[in-house]
Amino acid sequence: MRMKVYTFPSLSRLFYRYRDLAPQLVPLSYIDKPDVKLPYELIGSMAELKDNPFRQRIAEVFSEDGEGNMTLDDFLDMFSVLSEMAPRDLKAYYAFKIYDFNNDDYICKSDLEKTVNKLTRNELTPEEVCLVCDKVIDEADQDNDGRLSVEDFQHMIVRAPDFLSTFHIRI
Amino acid sequence: MTYHYNEAFENPDYHYSETLEIDRSRERNSSFHQNLPESSLDDDSLYDSYEGRSGRGQRNQDYPMAIPMASMQPGFRYSHSASRSTGPNTNPYGNPHTNPSFEYEPELAYTSPSTFHAVDGPYVRRSSDVSDGGSFSQRYNRRQADLVYRMPSSLLRLDSNAETYNKDKYKQEEKLIKNLASMSSRERVKAIQKTPKTMKEKRDIRNKVLMEKTKTFVSSSTRINCCTQCLYKTALFYRRFKNGLSEYLHLLQLWQKTLKVIRGKFGTSVLSYFVFLKWLLTFNIFSFLVNFSFITIPQLIASGPNNLSFNGLELLTGAGYFKKTVLYYGFYTNSTITKTENNSSYNMQLAYIFTIGIYFIICFFSLVYSMAKSFCKNFINLQTYSGSAAKLLCIWDFNITNEKAVKLKQSNLSTQIKESLSEVTLEVLNLSLTQRIARIAIHLVVWVASLGIAAACCAGVYFLSRNELQLLEGNKSELENEAATLVLPIVVSLLNLLIPFCFALFGLIEKFQYPRHQLYATIIRNVCLKISIIGILCYYWLNDVATSEKECWESLVGQDIYRLIVIDFIFCLLGSFFGEFVRRIIGTKCCKKLGVPEFDIARNVLDLIYTQTLAWIGIFFAPLMPAMQIISFFIIFYVKKVSLMRNCQPPRKVWRASQMTTLFIFLLFFPSFTGVLSVMAVTIWRLTPSKQCGPFQGLTSVIHAVSGWIHVLDSYSSSKWVVWIYRNLIGSVHFFFILTVIVLIITYLYWQIIEGRKIMVRLLHEQIINEGKDKMFLLNKLRALQTSKLDPPKGEQQERSSSSYQPSRQDALQMTASLERPFGRNGRDFYAESSSAGIPEKTGLSPADEEGHQPGISETLALALRARQQAEWEMEDDDEEDFRP
Repeated sequence: MRMKVYTFPSLSRLFYRYRDLAPQLVPLSYIDKPDVKLPYELIGSMAELKDNPFRQRIAEVFSEDGEGNMTLDDFLDMFSVLSEMAPRDLKAYYAFKIYDFNNDDYICKSDLEKTVNKLTRNELTPEEVCLVCDKVIDEADQDNDGRLSVEDFQHMIVRAPDFLSTFHIRI
Repeated sequence: MTYHYNEAFENPDYHYSETLEIDRSRERNSSFHQNLPESSLDDDSLYDSYEGRSGRGQRNQDYPMAIPMASMQPGFRYSHSASRSTGPNTNPYGNPHTNPSFEYEPELAYTSPSTFHAVDGPYVRRSSDVSDGGSFSQRYNRRQADLVYRMPSSLLRLDSNAETYNKDKYKQEEKLIKNLASMSSRERVKAIQKTPKTMKEKRDIRNKVLMEKTKTFVSSSTRINCCTQCLYKTALFYRRFKNGLSEYLHLLQLWQKTLKVIRGKFGTSVLSYFVFLKWLLTFNIFSFLVNFSFITIPQLIASGPNNLSFNGLELLTGAGYFKKTVLYYGFYTNSTITKTENNSSYNMQLAYIFTIGIYFIICFFSLVYSMAKSFCKNFINLQTYSGSAAKLLCIWDFNITNEKAVKLKQSNLSTQIKESLSEVTLEVLNLSLTQRIARIAIHLVVWVASLGIAAACCAGVYFLSRNELQLLEGNKSELENEAATLVLPIVVSLLNLLIPFCFALFGLIEKFQYPRHQLYATIIRNVCLKISIIGILCYYWLNDVATSEKECWESLVGQDIYRLIVIDFIFCLLGSFFGEFVRRIIGTKCCKKLGVPEFDIARNVLDLIYTQTLAWIGIFFAPLMPAMQIISFFIIFYVKKVSLMRNCQPPRKVWRASQMTTLFIFLLFFPSFTGVLSVMAVTIWRLTPSKQCGPFQGLTSVIHAVSGWIHVLDSYSSSKWVVWIYRNLIGSVHFFFILTVIVLIITYLYWQIIEGRKIMVRLLHEQIINEGKDKMFLLNKLRALQTSKLDPPKGEQQERSSSSYQPSRQDALQMTASLERPFGRNGRDFYAESSSAGIPEKTGLSPADEEGHQPGISETLALALRARQQAEWEMEDDDEEDFRP
């Protein structure tokens, strides 16, 4: 039964990518299930993530310890969600988590401000950032509680067809 | 408590059901009851049991120091972990009472990440006191909560009560597994894929489901017989084979790596051009294969040697040597090709017309299909939504992996945001009447001018081409004649290259409110120009060339198209040289203000559409035209890639890649492909094929080949059905009439359904807003109650407590925060919060204080619950009134 969106060759490709990050740490055989974790510094240095302003969040969201240190499983998880074939809702869920900087299950204004600053390299004035965030919340918030829940986010994603192709890292 | 919002989002039935969930509140209430710790369904007993429990919960407060506060906190999860070491925990504030309608307290819940890290240390120490198993189960619980978020509510009644917790957990998991096991394997894979859980847990679930499945399987049919096993094995093998094959096909796909590089450097918008090019290329490869195998190969077998001489100019003009090759219509024979050994024969006429006909039919359906798919994906869900939210949160292109590109993208984004902010202020600024009139006048003038230019171009092209036809009749040397034929295509390509720049200049005069309107206007003008030039050429071919009594007019048309395509290709190369390379040199060396040119996606895609239209028209007159198209597209791909990498920067404006792709597919379908079809129809039904050459020589029209064949078939009794189909379906007007009526009816039905859904969506949206208001109202009520009832104990405590920390107030607020926090928290912040609350407690309060404020909390809770109950009854009444017809 095909469990993940990977087929065998791409799975092995991913494994070798993982191993190449730290050949001295990761064993070649996973038969005896070694407990190996790669630190965030290594994960974040991958070519695919290196220049991404959200790399730390991505690593944190997908790692089980929440600090960006990844086991092989976490690593596979990450690229399966970021692959082409992952369902939209799953992608939306993890995108939501990435933007939810304080992990409180809502994207509130402070999260949005952080996002805007990451997206624009702090080139906007605080007033502009504030205006943008207000506008976003005003627009996407369906139940008028002043912050975005997962549902609000998913609802918004449905209307942004480009999201599926942009929330995607090809490995 | 189950979360109806989630359910509504996830459950397709919800969307399709005709009722507006009238019994929603009732259902909620009932689920509330079911979730109560013990079977106390009576409302009064609810309070009794609740208070009794809270008393017990209090007695239980003697477990490790840090935990009491934490157990008050993010609700149930912590208490489960603690329960491992302290035995049954009767924490009453568990999930059953969680209410989504509690408002959230941002200032409390938001703790910056740095504090998380700071307080992680002490927590870890404490958690090791509790037990290792505890932390494990915590982690599990985090995911457990995630599960709630996805699964149908009927499966997921999370009861946090520790006594029933384990039982419940298993029950729930069992239910989930049963549910999964009852699905078909494909559905199950999808369902498991959809759950946002880690790999390990997914694997666990899958294994359990499989076990369950085999169990039921074995019990229902005691042994697997050989046949099913065999079938199963073949299915397995087939699946593996398919997976493997798809992976290798993936590797075989063209330009995978190049596309990745382009995506990384320039983002999705520029990539869309290359994807479009690749898509057109596959069209051409397919048509080449079809034409080559069904038309050209039989002809090659039958044809004699070519004795015309070859000089280089033919490559440009397509005349001369090529006249007598399989490239053109004129070379094909009208005879039946027979190889003598067995009497099988090959009717060239039928092969020609059927191959091309079937190719066009396949093209039609694949275009309609991809158009529908892309439309459905990109447009159907877009309602009135300006999308600045989506713009912000979905705009980051995770594909970009190049440092420079990231920086560029970031600065582009900030200018975009600034622009859109200024747009907001601009909208407020109302234009005066005269300004408006002036604007509209300018638009009108520009439109008239651009249409006039297009018309003038058409007229010019038409007279030039007629002139050329007469030129060919003059007696000049062969070579001169051939060179003269190049004038027309060069002029056409020049027009195609220069007029768009002219249109772009109009953009300086015109002022549009939104930049995308300008984009659309430019695209429409360019399409008008290109399509009208092609249209006038077609008119010339069908009206002048076809009736000119020339020998083999089809081949002449084929040559014309060949020349147009070749010259256009050369101009495309020159365009990317001058337009991009020289422009960059100027931009970087001489005139710094110009900067590096942007890659103009729209212009490039329109060029592709133009050549593809020509190639489609050419297929009938020159069956091997797709081969040329393949070669030219290949070269264009590499040239554009190199030019892009060396010279260009990604476009600064927002390019809605997927919507624009839909638009381009539509353009390829509507003026282009439908135009080609009508040209084909005229050629096949109306025009007389030339008398001396080609497969249809001697017939009055091409379609007579088919009707003649049907006439022949009529005499064979075994193929009567073909005749019947032809006469009653393809040849009859009534059939097409009925077909059209059916299609119209279906369209109307769907349209009505969509309208109905729109109304429903609006109603649901209103409902959501109302619920939000309810939430606020309830929360205010709760707050009022809290402050009124809690004031005395709070004051007392403040006196007693040495730190500035206000435990009971804070607790109560955190309670509200935790109660309404439904799902999917990351474990870490939960630890952090528990510890952040735990530390001040440890330092600031003695156990006696705890005892003191504990009743306060339970009282708050009781109040909260009561308030909520009341509110829910009210809401139930309200809802019923609302939905009473």
